[in-house]
Amino acid sequence: MIVFWIAVGVISAAVAGLILRRAARAAAAPQGADSTLPLYRRQLAEIDELADRGLIAADERRSAHAEAARRLLSAAEAAEAGWAPGRDRRRGLVLLAGAAPLAALALYLVIGSPGYGDQPQAQRLAQWRAMPPTQLDAPRMAAVLREVTKERPGDPEPYRFLSIAEMASGDAAAAARALREAIRLAPERADLWESLGEALMMQAEGEVTPQAAAAFQRALEQDPKAGAARFHLARGQIEAGEVEAGLAQWRALLADLPADDPRRPVLQAAIADVAQGPRPQTAPETAPQIGAPEIQAMVDGLAARLAAEPDDPEGWVRLVRSYAVLGDAASRDSALAVARARYAGDPQILSQLAQAAATEPMR
Amino acid sequence: MIVEIGAFALVLSLVLSLLQAGASTAARLRRAPVLAAIGEGAAIGAFGALAVSFATLIYAFVVSDFSVANVAANSHSAKPMLYKVGGAWGSHEGSMLMWCLALTGFGALLAGYGRGLSAGLKSVAVATQGAIGAIFLAYTVFASNPFWRLIDPPVEGRSLNPLLQDPALILHPPFLYAGYVGLSVVFSLAIAALVEGRADAAWARWVRPWTLAAWSALTVGITLGAFWAYYELGWGGWWFWDPVENASFMPWLIATALLHSAVVTERRGALPGWTIFLALGGFTFSMLGAFLVRSGVLTSVHAFAVDPTRGVLLLTILGVTAGLGFALFAWRAPAMARGGLFAPISRESALVLNNILLAAATATVLLGTLYPLIREAIAGEAISVGPPYFNLTFTPLMFILLLLVPAGPLLAWKRADAGAVAQRLWLAAILAVLVGAVTLAFVAPRSLFGAAGLALGAWLMLGSLVEVAERIRLFRAPGSESLRRLRGLPRGAWGMTLAHAGLGVFVLGAVFETTWKDETAEVLSLGQRLDVGGYVLTLEDVRPVQGPNYEAERGVLRAVAPNGTLACTATPERRLYPAGGQTTSEVAICTRGLSHLYVVLGERRQGVEGQAAWLVSGYWNPWALLIFLGPGLMALGGVVSLSDRRLRLAAGRSAAPAKVQPVPEPVSAGGEA
Repeated sequence: MIVFWIAVGVISAAVAGLILRRAARAAAAPQGADSTLPLYRRQLAEIDELADRGLIAADERRSAHAEAARRLLSAAEAAEAGWAPGRDRRRGLVLLAGAAPLAALALYLVIGSPGYGDQPQAQRLAQWRAMPPTQLDAPRMAAVLREVTKERPGDPEPYRFLSIAEMASGDAAAAARALREAIRLAPERADLWESLGEALMMQAEGEVTPQAAAAFQRALEQDPKAGAARFHLARGQIEAGEVEAGLAQWRALLADLPADDPRRPVLQAAIADVAQGPRPQTAPETAPQIGAPEIQAMVDGLAARLAAEPDDPEGWVRLVRSYAVLGDAASRDSALAVARARYAGDPQILSQLAQAAATEPMR
Repeated sequence: MIVEIGAFALVLSLVLSLLQAGASTAARLRRAPVLAAIGEGAAIGAFGALAVSFATLIYAFVVSDFSVANVAANSHSAKPMLYKVGGAWGSHEGSMLMWCLALTGFGALLAGYGRGLSAGLKSVAVATQGAIGAIFLAYTVFASNPFWRLIDPPVEGRSLNPLLQDPALILHPPFLYAGYVGLSVVFSLAIAALVEGRADAAWARWVRPWTLAAWSALTVGITLGAFWAYYELGWGGWWFWDPVENASFMPWLIATALLHSAVVTERRGALPGWTIFLALGGFTFSMLGAFLVRSGVLTSVHAFAVDPTRGVLLLTILGVTAGLGFALFAWRAPAMARGGLFAPISRESALVLNNILLAAATATVLLGTLYPLIREAIAGEAISVGPPYFNLTFTPLMFILLLLVPAGPLLAWKRADAGAVAQRLWLAAILAVLVGAVTLAFVAPRSLFGAAGLALGAWLMLGSLVEVAERIRLFRAPGSESLRRLRGLPRGAWGMTLAHAGLGVFVLGAVFETTWKDETAEVLSLGQRLDVGGYVLTLEDVRPVQGPNYEAERGVLRAVAPNGTLACTATPERRLYPAGGQTTSEVAICTRGLSHLYVVLGERRQGVEGQAAWLVSGYWNPWALLIFLGPGLMALGGVVSLSDRRLRLAAGRSAAPAKVQPVPEPVSAGGEA
């Protein structure tokens, strides 16, 4: 804040000084003659020079000279008398020069955001890194992890974590990019290939694309028991119409899973679903979006906190935006209504709220 | 804190512009020099404050401060530094700030260096400039403030439209705005002339350097824009008669007309009303361009603000500013003194003809630009007016005008001898016709338009050479005499020669490229080939590339020339910018002499037998380089002319009588001897 006031002071003083200096010079200057006359004299001289160099003929010189001389004469007759400095009221002028910066400051205080500090990205990143990771939402986590990957360029782990955070913030393409980097560093890790396949699948809205299938294949080359890869490859087969072959793969996978594996019931349900009859229109969504529950929990926490301590405009804006991102229109609208009623008198917050409510859902 | 300093400085600039307008008006009314000085000081101060403001906006972009709404909407932390800086004027708000920066900058120049003007003219001009500045600054502060902050800054920015992430596009707006807004000074001078009832030779001499500076900047800006469209959009063309292009072209045409009419006003004291009319028209067309581009009535990469409120505000500004200007014109111009009589064959008549043709050309462009908009507003149906319309209207007008260009500078003032001019030009005419005949005979496929166009280009260039030869009396005076004259030629004369010759260069390139370009598009798998313009392109490889903020597929194509040698290896790219999800094309251009082999990599497709394949477009654009070199020469001509001593005198040298100058003065400036 100090820096701001010093800067405002310096700029204002410089501007006022500039204006007053020019005014003082003008006041001291002698009464000026009309400054256009030399120009006409110059034109006359030019015609003479042209003629001296033989560029215009003698008769043309005479007529041009006569015309220019006529203009000089009429300009001299019409010449304004110089303006006299004595007619100004000096004290009023000094006040005027000082009043301009003050008026600007007053207007700025109304429409600006006085006291709002800069938020360079580097500084925000440093703050987020200093915070406990549990307090960061997925996009902030991803931003922090991107920095970590730059600091540890040879380590695949930060890239893996980054991919999880990117996925949780709904950016499957970025997750896939991070995983490709991780794989470049550790191509032998089956789990990375599996995650890449899942990220590519996410990008294609759940479809096992050739690129995703290729990634799963690479996972199986590294680890023939890789569960997710086997599951999705088989699912791809079922979707492509090879139901029996796919089911056989799923049953084999089920047999390989330990008895206490939490994935067993999901897989069993999927098998039953497919085996039962007509193939479902949409494939069973067994791989829930990573991070979605965490985000939901975070949003619920925020809602609960605002219910307890409602006087937090930033919190309301964030809550509305979070609901919008999650695609939960009903909750978004009810939160928006509450917040609007609360901050009806503050257009800035209202516009922030409207902007937040208009955020695109992440899928 | 730094961002808020910028926000304050912006408001300060607005207040100072108001002070500038108020104090200068009061100075004129009271004939008070101290008040006038305050107005001038405020003008310089307004520019200084806005420069601070603009610097802080660039700072916010450089450090990616996403708490600034404009940065969050138009930048991204992973963007290369050049485009972070350029992003500061890549958005509606930022570019408005740059517009205002240019506006106050020219106001400051007018205030600081306007010593040759009479006190009355100057104070009214400074007041008008201040009023225009205040209007646009008020719009920026209240409706389009680039310093608006976000309470909850997003984690990442939304990035700049990747099409705009290009070096030519970083430079294009500053030049274009310098040109657009440079015309505001001419506008202000016109208002001053109307108020004072004085549009004399001294006034015209003041108008010329400003017009020249604005015109040169506009020429560079438009050329950069065309060049960008040429290599960044990947459509193979460089001018599409797109409304946005027309919006920048109309002020240029008017400024060109004004450059020529101001010469008449300066030399003969004639046509003051018409010159003032053009001076008002130039900036009006600039504002019309600003409105078209920013109101959302157009769909284009430039149409960044699809915001009806802003559109209405800009239309109001346009209506009020231009309306007041022309109302003043209607009231005051009839009373202004008219100049001497014109003989039908004389330099001044030729310049009038130039103006008539340029004005008619502007009118056709205006009609072609606005008609679809009006039609859509009234009948609700979208139509587009494209090249066929402009080829039928604009091109013939220009053909006539360009045909007359070489004769103009050879005509004498007041009363010229047409026969003598014809005598001087016959060799150039024969050579030009010969160029046309050779073209018609040997360039396949045969094209009468192409042949006529090349003859015209040659005519313009040869005509410029004849003009210089005449001035130095080449072959008619001894060699030493010619050399002495050559050295003595004023820069203004060189500027005109360069500009006219540049026009010829441009015509050659434009006609040749348009008539004889060749294009082919095919879906290619690796190893397959494409024939275009005699060259054979073979797709050798397509590999993924990771850019700083994009992912790309880069094609590697071997281009073999008609004579069997390797011409070049073209590496076009297709880029995906994940931040905004947009795809762009990075064209590969192989320069072969004056011509371009232009290769575009399209999207990946399923080829035969499941092989990957890509849509590859190849263009052979003969003499395409001349299209951009020509306007470059023209702009250079403007700058050379601007450096003429005599214009510098008008722009602020202490106006000492010429007779005591120690060095002999150059004899004449562009188009005057």
